Amino acid sequence: MELFDFYDQDRWPHVFCPGCGNGTVMNCFFRAFNEIGWKLDNTVFVSGIGCSSRIPLYINSDAIHTTHGRAIAVATGLKLSRPELDVVVFTGDGDLGAIGGNHFINGCRRNVDLDVICINNNIYGMTGGQASITTPHDFISTTTPFGNTEYPFDLAEIAVAAGANYVARWTTRHVHELTKSIKASLEKKGFNFVEVVSQCPTNFGRRNKMADPTALLDWFKESSVRRDKARAAAIDHVDLNLAGQITTGEFVCRDRECYHDRKGGGTHGDGH
Amino acid sequence: MRPGIDLRYCKGCNICVYMCPKQCFSNGVDLSAQGYFPAVVTAPEKCFNHDRTEKPICELCVLSCPDQAISWEPEPEEKEKKDDNQTG
Repeated sequence: MELFDFYDQDRWPHVFCPGCGNGTVMNCFFRAFNEIGWKLDNTVFVSGIGCSSRIPLYINSDAIHTTHGRAIAVATGLKLSRPELDVVVFTGDGDLGAIGGNHFINGCRRNVDLDVICINNNIYGMTGGQASITTPHDFISTTTPFGNTEYPFDLAEIAVAAGANYVARWTTRHVHELTKSIKASLEKKGFNFVEVVSQCPTNFGRRNKMADPTALLDWFKESSVRRDKARAAAIDHVDLNLAGQITTGEFVCRDRECYHDRKGGGTHGDGH
Repeated sequence: MRPGIDLRYCKGCNICVYMCPKQCFSNGVDLSAQGYFPAVVTAPEKCFNHDRTEKPICELCVLSCPDQAISWEPEPEEKEKKDDNQTG
């Protein structure tokens, strides 16, 4: 199948700004989706609120557009009531990490069989460029005109600590690696989390002297460090832009027991 | 095959120009009907897929195009070449 067979062509061209990374993530996702042979009829896309959460509207499939931050909560309920369906969550950094942060952490902890693609554009792009939880230190936004004094959240490390089965982070500059990671995450059972650092030329790049989307891609290329290399070089605590670097790579790949596979009654208690 | 740009969808972000390792694309100068400056395929013969007819490799432009405007097209001369071989 061609990529366009997955998309609702009547809605094209989509509303994303010129140079927005969301379309790139769609391409990579559906290339991986096609390679592992999933069917759109058997897949539900769940999203919250935000630019990236508009992606399910452009897909020829069933989708749930939920309230702000509750995408993982709704997806958990859907997966538990209809376990035969494949559930994919498209979400953004503000939706997943800021307002839905607790759902995210507890989703990782429960390890329900979901695939979460988080498109992290470092800013609240849809509402006008306010500083989000992932805005890097010293970067300018409408609410931090003299540079962001805070340090950003590291969503991928949170997912590792909270117990997700598969965690990876790539940027939109690494399209082939991203496709491979999404494919691995779709094949794996349990809570799989792929964070994609994406460009927002309109609201992030324009205020940070990177108005051209290619300047942002260049920044991703220069500041990306593979996680294994960072560890081998013993760089202490390399995370998203804390040291001006974006740690990319596969963070964890493990087989923790899924929520569905857990039997009632454990070794603690009498099991009734 | 060669990359082709759909002028209805291209928003002129020039990401393909940046991503292509063989410099097949160049920045657009002509205004499209949608009001953007779509990139132009100026050197399709440099593309990795120039001699291929199926299973394209590389595909950085197709995967990274945010507006799904790039797709693979058959080479315009391919048919003529085949005809020449058959007759000769």
